[in-house]
Amino acid sequence: MRTAPRHSPTVTATRAATRRLSYAFIALLLFGFAVALSPTANANTPTIKLFPTTVVEDLKQTGNVARDMETGLQEVIGRLDQQQVLYQESKCDGAENDTGCQRLARQIGATYLEMLTIMEERLPDMEHTVNNTRLSLEKGLRSELGQKMTPWTLQETLIGGKAEQAASTSAPTLRGRSGMRLSERFKQYYQLVATSGAKGDQSLAVLASDIYLDMEETSLLIQRTRQEIARATLMEQLNQSFGIITPEMIEVVGGVKSILFGDAESTALVAGPPPASVEQAYRSPLEQ
Amino acid sequence: MPIKYLLPVAALFLASCASNTPSCVGPQSKNLSQAIDTAQSSLMNGCHAHFDRYYDDLLTIAEGDPKPENKRAFSEFLVWSSDKGLLSNRQAQNYYNRYFNVKFMSMKGDYNNCSHTCPNKQKVLFNMERELSDKERGLLRVSLDNDGYYRADQLFQEVELVLEATCSACAAGR
Repeated sequence: MRTAPRHSPTVTATRAATRRLSYAFIALLLFGFAVALSPTANANTPTIKLFPTTVVEDLKQTGNVARDMETGLQEVIGRLDQQQVLYQESKCDGAENDTGCQRLARQIGATYLEMLTIMEERLPDMEHTVNNTRLSLEKGLRSELGQKMTPWTLQETLIGGKAEQAASTSAPTLRGRSGMRLSERFKQYYQLVATSGAKGDQSLAVLASDIYLDMEETSLLIQRTRQEIARATLMEQLNQSFGIITPEMIEVVGGVKSILFGDAESTALVAGPPPASVEQAYRSPLEQ
Repeated sequence: MPIKYLLPVAALFLASCASNTPSCVGPQSKNLSQAIDTAQSSLMNGCHAHFDRYYDDLLTIAEGDPKPENKRAFSEFLVWSSDKGLLSNRQAQNYYNRYFNVKFMSMKGDYNNCSHTCPNKQKVLFNMERELSDKERGLLRVSLDNDGYYRADQLFQEVELVLEATCSACAAGR
């Protein structure tokens, strides 16, 4: 009869450690399979890379630049508002030849010039960061949604494998005037992107598209605004010698205010979904 | 055979054909399951060329008594049509999904979006819009699946937005 071979304590300890390692490895493998087979993992694969770190940083940077511009302009615009009220209360409309009114108009013109100068100084930074964000997103959208996906896979990404689920799932920000501060909007974008890991690809695709189109529009607006500032500055410098408040001045200030600080009344109301039906568990074998 | 005998024989043959032509009238019952039975019997008796019209008639009848179970009735009718060889499997899927699924059959394609969808973006969106109205009929008016229809509508809006951005990015890369 053969006896079991005896081993030294070191060998036994090594084997026990190896066995423990093997168990741990198998457990890890099983866990891996379980995770891979779980519905959550299925819903999230394949992950689309639409927000690299650079985009997140660019968004943060754009938000900071926008905040700086707002802070700089807030005081000037406040002053401009007060001066306009004073001008109206002094019944200067139609009394442009009055010396006092002319002085007031010149003061308003000077403040307006100050506003244009601040914008002129801050806009290049803004343009730079907005363009960076736009270009990074453009690359991601082209590659991930444009070249790697067919229309069907794009649709499946958007629906996120939850076609039969209630439509109350997280709806990303929709495009359009949000009625909020510019910096606040970028801050919100940044937060949405920075915390997007927990969301599905469907939200990311819509979010990336939304931000990209917004950046495209913003970039174009900044370009046009910069061109206009040069022209408006020249016009105002000429007007300074006559002490005139042009309707254009009032319009520009109004426009800047609504872009930078938002317009609370313009918040769009979104219609709610129609009342839900409960019985819809049926799945056809023909369903795709 | 002399020609004087051939002519009456041919006339008789043609007359017999004419008398066997099915009338292919639509189902008259307002009850969906009875209407499906009638449609099935007509389709099997030579009216298969009128499949589209029968399907439309059945949808109209179902609209008169909308309920979630109607989805199953239509699915079973289409599976039967496919089994009997009246429709290919792909056609059956198209008929079902166009009306009763959230996903859009107009968004099918084997090529990437930059090369295939973007050059035809307007056409794709137009077809999706038409499909959405069929989904309104199938999901909302036939099966009372409000959530499903709302999701399809939302999906349409998302596709519109995502395609606008993606196609703009594709164009910028050229």
